[in-house]
Amino acid sequence: MLRTTLAGLRAHRLRLMLTAVAITLGVGFIAGTFVLTDTIQAGISRSFGAAADSIDVVVLPPPGDKPVVLPDRTLAKVREVDGVASADGLIRGTAALVGRDGKTVGDHPTRGMSIDSRVSITKGAAPRGPGEAVLDENTARLRGFAVGQAITVLDQMDAPHRFRLTGLFDVGVDQELAYFGAVGFDAATARAMTGVKGYAEIDVKAAPGVAADRLRAAVASATGAGPEVLTGKALADRLIAANGASAEFIALGLLLFGVVAMLVAALVIYNTFAILVAQRTREMALLRCVGATRRQVFGSVLLESALVGVVCSALGLAAGLGMGGAALAVLEGMDVPLPTGTVALAPRTIAVGLAVGVLVTVGAAVLPARTATRVPPVAALRTQPEAAVDGPGAGTVRRVAAGLLLAAGAAITAVAVTVLGPGEVALFTVMGGGMVTFLGVLVIGPVLVRPLSAVAGWLPARMSGVPGRLAVDNSRRNPRRSATTTIALTIGVTLMTMMAVLTGSIRANYNHKLEEQFPVDFMLSTQREGSHIPSGVGDGLRGRPELASLVRVRQAETAVTLGGREARRTVGAYEGPLEVSASSGSARGLAPGSVLAAEGLGVRPGGTLTLTPDKGGEPGEPVTLRVAATFDANATPLPPLVVPPTEFARYFDVAGDAQIMVDVAPGADPDRARKLLEEAARPYPTVRVAASTDIRGQFDEALDTQLMVVTGLLGLAILISLLGIANTLSLSVHERTRESALLRALGLTRPQLRLMLSVEALVLGLIGALVGVALGMVFGWAAIQTMFADPIYAPPVGQVLTFVALSGLAGVLAAVLPARRAARAQITAALSET
Amino acid sequence: MSTTEARTTAAAAVTASGLTKVYGRSDAAVHALRGVDVSFDAGAFTAIMGPSGSGKSTLMHCLAGLDTVSSGSVRIGGTEITGLDDKRLTMLRRERIGFVFQSFNLLPTLTAEQNILLPLQIAGRQPDRTLLDRVVETVGLRDRLGHRPAELSGGQQQRVAVARALAARPQVIFADEPTGNLDSRSGAEVLSFLRTSVRELGQTIVMVTHDPVAASYADRVVFLRDGLLVRELAAPTPQTVLDTLVSLEGAPC
Repeated sequence: MLRTTLAGLRAHRLRLMLTAVAITLGVGFIAGTFVLTDTIQAGISRSFGAAADSIDVVVLPPPGDKPVVLPDRTLAKVREVDGVASADGLIRGTAALVGRDGKTVGDHPTRGMSIDSRVSITKGAAPRGPGEAVLDENTARLRGFAVGQAITVLDQMDAPHRFRLTGLFDVGVDQELAYFGAVGFDAATARAMTGVKGYAEIDVKAAPGVAADRLRAAVASATGAGPEVLTGKALADRLIAANGASAEFIALGLLLFGVVAMLVAALVIYNTFAILVAQRTREMALLRCVGATRRQVFGSVLLESALVGVVCSALGLAAGLGMGGAALAVLEGMDVPLPTGTVALAPRTIAVGLAVGVLVTVGAAVLPARTATRVPPVAALRTQPEAAVDGPGAGTVRRVAAGLLLAAGAAITAVAVTVLGPGEVALFTVMGGGMVTFLGVLVIGPVLVRPLSAVAGWLPARMSGVPGRLAVDNSRRNPRRSATTTIALTIGVTLMTMMAVLTGSIRANYNHKLEEQFPVDFMLSTQREGSHIPSGVGDGLRGRPELASLVRVRQAETAVTLGGREARRTVGAYEGPLEVSASSGSARGLAPGSVLAAEGLGVRPGGTLTLTPDKGGEPGEPVTLRVAATFDANATPLPPLVVPPTEFARYFDVAGDAQIMVDVAPGADPDRARKLLEEAARPYPTVRVAASTDIRGQFDEALDTQLMVVTGLLGLAILISLLGIANTLSLSVHERTRESALLRALGLTRPQLRLMLSVEALVLGLIGALVGVALGMVFGWAAIQTMFADPIYAPPVGQVLTFVALSGLAGVLAAVLPARRAARAQITAALSET
Repeated sequence: MSTTEARTTAAAAVTASGLTKVYGRSDAAVHALRGVDVSFDAGAFTAIMGPSGSGKSTLMHCLAGLDTVSSGSVRIGGTEITGLDDKRLTMLRRERIGFVFQSFNLLPTLTAEQNILLPLQIAGRQPDRTLLDRVVETVGLRDRLGHRPAELSGGQQQRVAVARALAARPQVIFADEPTGNLDSRSGAEVLSFLRTSVRELGQTIVMVTHDPVAASYADRVVFLRDGLLVRELAAPTPQTVLDTLVSLEGAPC
């Protein structure tokens, strides 16, 4: 039997080739994910391992919610411990680097830190003394600073200080430093610049001959309760685990796409084997005639699939190695701060890749193999069965099952949208409903093919004459085959459409929110939370003819008691024409002694809260305020508690504005207004001017990038489903050799025959796309309902139509080779073939 | 009409002269046709006979422009078809030739009526409704027009194929073993229709067969052996055809 199977494989290797590519791609993606994340993991372990080598014991502040630092006396105590060779305290805070444009760089201030022996200086030298500083490599390159130049850094009072840049350093795997950028100083300067009066970490080196474990115990008893004392290795392990978790998260996300790709590949494989078995009915029957049992026939088909699975999985592993390496190269090219190393196939990757590839292939071949066992031996004696045409096909069972699944899917989704409030639970419920519905579509697919091909083929059939009409007929002659072929494409198109709908709707919802929160043309704010725009800026802008309105918001953080619980909250006040729309109560004419509170704080109009004024750094006598109205905090740029400006000045002595909102006067040139605002902000490095369009642009960019990445990853599933279309077509072409020859004899030209197959592929592609777009639109809508309270549904029609058009086009592309083969065939040879 | 006259008459629908066909090269070369001169009269029913491997199917394929010739000439009507490119050959088949094959004559996705109209539609011609009615009536398919091939018997399918060939009114119909897959009664029916179409519609038909009874429906039978035209017979009966075949089997050429 094995020999027969092998011979069969050799004979059909061309027909199995596209299937093989599908499996190879799927396994390759999964293996590539593992290769990528393994390499990152290895890099993380190596970096942390190296770091651990240089430190023996680490002292960390006590764990807790509030960030605390280790005081000087802890460092002094540690230094006195017997067996300690040296101990350095690590200082960390913020120190905003000022860029070449005179403004602080980035959306957040850069981190300021002390540089000790652990930090690797990659260029130049470590800073010594109050006039020297180093920058992390990435920030230096991004902001255009070179060693030897002067840089300006702001201290905690926003006062500028000049430093000579003595070198660059590598932040290693520290995500925080990588994200915000970092400026390094010596310990005393770091303390002065960051204003942090303690250490984020104390690194201890052991004297020669002292074991890390023993030293740890000694240090721990010296520091007493509170601070955490770990060996360097224990800390490394902890950091590796924490970072590894994020690598695993990436792996999980990527594997999800891998699963989608394998699911599509499984459909392609199933279809291929189903068609091959149908075409080899006589061969199977002959085997039965010469004495093969049903079990042997079954086994031979499964064995064939297993062999294909093994070979293609092995190829997939090789492809995965390449893909993982390529992904790493791309990430490195994009300067993503990832530790890297040599790419390698871990034994686990090999095992998972092989197992997934073989199981999916064999699993997909089980049903076709079962069909093969039903071939009666007498079928060998019949003449070659003519190209198959399925009967009506859909039995009652199929219709009922599909009906139940569709109803269940619709019900689940309806519950998620109407009963459950917006939130993650509802979103996951919608996803579940989507999957159930999809199963229903999968089952009912063969029934849908006929009407859908009429819709999708309406125009092609009218535009391309007889070949077009024949093509539309052909697209529905094997509804089951067509359904399986197109549903593979449907998966990708559904997910893509859903992503596009979500992105479009989130954009629309966000823009809507933005207009509420940012109901102005320009906003002035500071980079750092808690710092202020000096009053002079707002005063100077007052009365300018270019500006129509000016709203100044002041705010301060203080202790607020609300419903018996005290917490630190931001209290603010505004001056200028700003409408606050109250969700309950009245926001007009806010009187002294009353307060506006954000929804969700747990107070209603008429309720009270107690606020502790904070003037001159001294807590004052608590004041009780009556809540006049509540408002939607998401719909305004105001802090959650708002008091009248005169009262605010009584409670707090905040000199500057937290933000200034500006509307350009009607008819004034917005560019001139912007220049004016920038001029006013120029003396203050931390004050920045943003237009509402800037913010929208940033958000749009982030959304677009996300959509692009997801679309790219789904592209693999689409590619595999196109292989499926090409595969089905080429198998059908093979099956219809004589039919094609007959058509040629009756006067169909070669181009017409090619046209016929292209139109058939076009119709298949369009069917898949139409179903996908319908599902994607519906479930995109449902998902949006669960994400926002008052959702705006904004499907990007242009994008979705592009998907449909591209699917059709891709189908036509998939038909190029099969069509060429069909058109090249000799008429006489094909006709005499029996 | 005598055979001598037929060969010289200008009304020949198909003429072949010096036709050779060689498959393969040098040592492995197979000479399927070794120089055939033959002509088929317009409005006549001619059968091509010969033992297996005599080259009768090859001859028909070459005459119909389905296969290329190695040398010689084939004219259909006034048109020399050897040397025509694929597109011109396709147009020629579309406009001027009809086919009936032994098996697999119909497209499984189309109804009987759609199958009959297919060549006309491919050619973009309007069907002649009266002719169509007459053809459908003649082959007795009126109540089967809406059926698909799978719902028709073998004989019915072949009658649809004949109707399809007739409906386009081609200059010549080539039939390749049209009764090869049919029982004798269905075969007789199909052959009668072919003969009727010649008599009543003036259709030209060239039929390849190995069945003496089928050949006896023709006006004339030409015999092929080892790629050469060796004999012909006018007004054949099954017996005379059989006798000729037997004599051919025995006699060296």
